[in-house]
Amino acid sequence: MATKILERKPLTLAERTYLPQIAAGLWVTFRKMFGRRVTLEYPEQKPPIPRGYRGVPTLVKDPNGREKCVSCQLCEFVCPPKAIRITPGEIPADSATAHVEKAPKDFELNMLRCIYCGLCEEACPERAIVLQNVYSLNAATREEVVLHKDKLYELGGTLPDKIMKWDKKKAAADKAAGGHH
Amino acid sequence: MDWMYLLIVLVKAVVVVALVMAVAGYAVVGERKIASWVQERPGPNRTTVPILGSIPVVGWWLRRMGFFQLWADGAKFFFKEEPTPAHVNKLYFLVAPVVAFVPAMAALSAVPFGQYVGSDGVAVPLAITNFDVGMLFVMAVSGISVFGIIMAGWASNSKYPYFSSIRASAQLISYELTIGLALLPVFMWTGGTLDLFSIVREQGGVVGGGVFGLPKWFICIMPVSALLYLVALFAESNRLPFDMAESETDLVGGFHTEYGAFKFGLFFVGEYAHMTLAAILFSVIFLGGWSIPFVSMDAMPVGLLGAVVSVGVVFVKTVILMSFIMLVRWTLPRFRYDQVMDLGWKILLPLAVVNLAVYAVILALVEG
Amino acid sequence: MSKTEEVFSFGDAAARNAALEEEIHGDTMVLNVGPSHPATHGVLRLRLELDGETIVKCDPVIGYLHRGEEKVAENFTYNQFIPYTDRLDYIGPIHNNVTYALAVERLAGIDVPERCQAIRVICCELARLLSHFIGLGCYGMDAGALTVFMYMFTDREKIYSLMEELCGARFTTNYTRIGGLQRDIPDGWLDHVLKVCDDVEKTNELCDKLLTRNRIFYDRCVGVAPLSKEDAISYGVSGPNARASGIAMDLRKDKPYLGYENYEFNVPVGTNGDSYDRWLVRVEEVRQSVRIIRQAVTKMPGGLWYNDKATKIFRPRKDKVLSSMEELIQNFMITTEGPELPVGEAFFEAENPKGRQAFFVVSKGGGVPWRLRIHGPSFSIISALPKILPGCLVQDVPVVLGSIDFVMGDCDR
Repeated sequence: MATKILERKPLTLAERTYLPQIAAGLWVTFRKMFGRRVTLEYPEQKPPIPRGYRGVPTLVKDPNGREKCVSCQLCEFVCPPKAIRITPGEIPADSATAHVEKAPKDFELNMLRCIYCGLCEEACPERAIVLQNVYSLNAATREEVVLHKDKLYELGGTLPDKIMKWDKKKAAADKAAGGHH
Repeated sequence: MDWMYLLIVLVKAVVVVALVMAVAGYAVVGERKIASWVQERPGPNRTTVPILGSIPVVGWWLRRMGFFQLWADGAKFFFKEEPTPAHVNKLYFLVAPVVAFVPAMAALSAVPFGQYVGSDGVAVPLAITNFDVGMLFVMAVSGISVFGIIMAGWASNSKYPYFSSIRASAQLISYELTIGLALLPVFMWTGGTLDLFSIVREQGGVVGGGVFGLPKWFICIMPVSALLYLVALFAESNRLPFDMAESETDLVGGFHTEYGAFKFGLFFVGEYAHMTLAAILFSVIFLGGWSIPFVSMDAMPVGLLGAVVSVGVVFVKTVILMSFIMLVRWTLPRFRYDQVMDLGWKILLPLAVVNLAVYAVILALVEG
Repeated sequence: MSKTEEVFSFGDAAARNAALEEEIHGDTMVLNVGPSHPATHGVLRLRLELDGETIVKCDPVIGYLHRGEEKVAENFTYNQFIPYTDRLDYIGPIHNNVTYALAVERLAGIDVPERCQAIRVICCELARLLSHFIGLGCYGMDAGALTVFMYMFTDREKIYSLMEELCGARFTTNYTRIGGLQRDIPDGWLDHVLKVCDDVEKTNELCDKLLTRNRIFYDRCVGVAPLSKEDAISYGVSGPNARASGIAMDLRKDKPYLGYENYEFNVPVGTNGDSYDRWLVRVEEVRQSVRIIRQAVTKMPGGLWYNDKATKIFRPRKDKVLSSMEELIQNFMITTEGPELPVGEAFFEAENPKGRQAFFVVSKGGGVPWRLRIHGPSFSIISALPKILPGCLVQDVPVVLGSIDFVMGDCDR
């Protein structure tokens, strides 16, 4: 065990007069007075947000403009403070994205409960709910801070999608059906 | 009754009090700025007023320096609700801040801020009234402020202020002895006078006729006295490292725990007024007052220009010393109560007595 | 005035208080260093009985921050509970994540690849730096040196920026998962870590120079509240406090985990057990932590950051979930039912910056623990306060509390 017994030397005569250490300390603080300031003066200077920052959870649309959430409710399940409430709904059969079958009727995210843990983003099988860069969310009433579907899609915007799984599924289903109609 | 004389003294008093209050008030802002610079941050730099703050360069610089912060804080102290808890002794609770603040102002009446050399070559002190026991008067009057702290602690009827006032009373009384003994060599050197004007007049010129190359200030002639007085000065104004009377970390607020709004403001400014008074006294007694280094007293400018120059020099020295006091606050840890008492009685007091004896011998040899 | 020593049961607070009240007949004064006080780090209430300025008796009252985390754990899956572990020792939060993950991984019988272990070691040592900087900074502040606190917090901000880059949040890191980590380290992070290590070393030396040999600080700390070796063992004190008392115990050396046996570092041990030793031990531990981080960064192995064989426990990668049905089902099962762990119990203890933090997990199968017991190191040292505080002056209380460096989140859970 590489233990290192700490030595405690008693104070030397010079140190016992208080003065050398006081002078050294004053010199350090005096020099620091003319140094650089480390404060970031918000809101004139904003902090740099790194990639992968966990800000406000948002819902995203795919590059075709379709809303990605299919209301599977996995995020509602995994959310520790139970901030998410989803009312699942159906996509009507005559819509262009009818093969997806489900979309949320209402998606309520109570920001007063959200702890920004990111477990919803991990659980989502569609990559629909993503924690992005918004860190400053303020409101004047409690109702404003409970975000609904429209506000979440507005905050989320569109993110690139390399996989486009529903388009692939639709193409595979069409091919299997042999273009029957 | 010489009404004219009384009126002149009243005008002088108002001017001095206003100026010193301004300096003490800006000492608050200065302390915050120095504290923040030491801690690598900008400090108060956002408060601004509508018209003055919009002046192109000057207004911006004043805002960044926190110049208007004092106005905001002062207005805040006026407008806040005055809390008077139910369990306090009402009379002494209200009187205590006044007793802590007024003696600092009253003691200024014997302190000379400059000199005016008239056309006949006679130097006249710029003080409210300069008389021959000036220093004794200053020490006696500024010592009354201890009672303010004791009254505050006792009247608050609560344990933390009680602790604080006990400690403060012991500390302040102990260090007054050191102040007195440290100053005695100075008075002996100037021929036994307690008159502050004569003490400053002694300090023009150069020590040893230019041999040592030091200005003829008492800090150069008797440095040990100056050091003792400096340490006791920290103790008398309750400044770190001797601020166990109001140490936030173990006594929450100390003697001003139960105070708020204007009464707290009086305590607060009173502490800075004491610090200003102490700084002015140190610069007058040990740093040569209004004497410019290496310029003898007779070579100082005359007339109105001379008066302005002398007041300016005292002001500069006071500001430098106050900055030093503030820098010390943000550097050093705090003493414990028993260590403060040990230092005051077992180290500083014997040192002051020995110092007095040594200078008595030196004086006898120099004069003999 | 006779003082009979009656023993009351632990929960009988009313009887204890009544007995204390009876003893106060004008000789002693009761002072409440209350839950909200500038010196107590967090909400700790100390009921002191004073004779003049000397403390005669001390009764700490805890529980003001009790949030029922152990009970909460019985209702959440193992991965869902990780944000709660952040809030235990909230000074170095990522260390709690790692300890919890190691405890559950021991229950599951899985281990993690070397890259994951090296990353976890860096995170633990960064948490140690965070914690010791608060310990040293607040200790200096409580003794009156207010500037040391600010210098140390500037460096803590730099470490927080590292955490933000790594996992997206400065403080509630939520970084480890059972079987691996939330994500791999970003590019360039290791260089930032090395730069921060240099800054940390400089600040540590600066604060050492400012305070350690300063006679004012020295007199405040030397001989104050010594904790003897026997008392430290009997109260279950661990970590820097125990090492300051002379017990050469460090779980990183005695029961190595995460590959600590491959790193070279020393363990500082004090002699007297007073507050000055506790300062010296922490200053030296900062130096050793920086040494470990540098070694881990240089030796960072390649590979995966998660155990890819533990398919029922660690969530599959997102691109696989989006394209393959089997991974989608695994994701679904792990999210709704939790990771599938065997029946059994596991105990794991780690060297938290504050001391020995331990998790005891009992599982009856499934994804939710049957019982999770957390041992916080601050609980043990606060229980030793009635032994070490009597005899000190009131003005020593902030110095002692600062030197002990406890955090109420750990003590109360």
